[in-house]
Amino acid sequence: MSENEILIGTLLDESWLTLEQVAAACDVEADWLRSHLEAGLMPHAESVAGVWRLAEETLRRARRMRALERDFDAVPELAALVADLLEETERLRTRLRCLGEE
Amino acid sequence: MEFRNYYDVLGVARDATAEEIKKAFRKLARKYHPDVSKEPDAEQRMKEVNEAYAVLSDPEKRAAYDQLAQGYRPGQEFRPPPGWDAGFEFSGGGFSPHETAEFSDFFAELFGGLGGRTRRSGGFHARGEDHHAKIYLDLEDAFRGATRQISLRAPRLDAQGHVVLETRTLNVKIPKGVREGQTIRLAGQGSPGIGGAPAGDLLLEVHFQPHPRFRVDGRDLHMTLPLAPWEAALGTVIPIELPEGGVKVRIPPGAQSGQQLRVRGKGIPAEPPGDLLLSLQVVLPPADTPRARELYETMARELAFDARAGR
Repeated sequence: MSENEILIGTLLDESWLTLEQVAAACDVEADWLRSHLEAGLMPHAESVAGVWRLAEETLRRARRMRALERDFDAVPELAALVADLLEETERLRTRLRCLGEE
Repeated sequence: MEFRNYYDVLGVARDATAEEIKKAFRKLARKYHPDVSKEPDAEQRMKEVNEAYAVLSDPEKRAAYDQLAQGYRPGQEFRPPPGWDAGFEFSGGGFSPHETAEFSDFFAELFGGLGGRTRRSGGFHARGEDHHAKIYLDLEDAFRGATRQISLRAPRLDAQGHVVLETRTLNVKIPKGVREGQTIRLAGQGSPGIGGAPAGDLLLEVHFQPHPRFRVDGRDLHMTLPLAPWEAALGTVIPIELPEGGVKVRIPPGAQSGQQLRVRGKGIPAEPPGDLLLSLQVVLPPADTPRARELYETMARELAFDARAGR
């Protein structure tokens, strides 16, 4: 590829992602992701006729939970709780910014 | 390249036990966690802490590092002797290739960026790893689309099968309508595949630089709109410059500070487009001239108005 070539990207939220795509993108084992999905620890995902389809938000969630489990030896449920709180904090911070409070 | 003292980074003694190292790491991981830390350099410090932990938590890496580190001081010029790591087999240590790719040149020189050499035999096929990076855009880019140049450090296999870090510069076309938090996928721009398998993808997480006038929430744009008291009381039409083009907004009579006006379809031009949300803020002219004071005194005298009525 030449230095001047312009790469055209695709936006991920225009389609659902498969379990394998998200696992590969997050450097996690597919079994790790499947067990977390089946335990209900990953919102923004649904199983249709036994096949998981995942929204873009799962990418960030999976990477965050994996880091929490690795860094703090957190059990998956605790990692999910912390991820929930961090996501809620992000939503509230965005709202504060929009209100001009931050 | 400067020598790095990983024991100093974690604040532990050279003879610290594995449990002490883990404890020190967790304490610092909490302190510099990028989601919660208020420290200005939290992200950089977290990378340093991760790097130190990747080495000191792995017995093989720690032993190799200890052997090599004898006689070196932090900041001292450092170059490892050829073949220094003979006899050691390094693992990833729980950190993914894209995480170790962000570690220092010192780490890359010692452990090859991916935590060691690949020792895969012929006939092995594997799709390349996906890489993650953040891209910071101007809000205007979401309205007009843009081409942005980004530089990334990424691991690559050299002719001998060793992992080396290289800096790549990419020109990326940003699609119009992109939103905060979205991911742009650049197919085939991750790690190369092995044995003829396809390369991984590069996933760019979109963030906007702070804008002096607008705040962004998903597709919607928020803006504070200052109004003079007579504009708020009598109503008016105000032209507003947007990142692309402009719009005239009708302010209804009797508008108050704190009210919000929604202008549909004037936010980020996604599909569907977002809205423009205007937070009204009535600004009082100062009573700093005799005439201004006179006008206020006239209002005070002639308007039956109690600002605290109903409280």
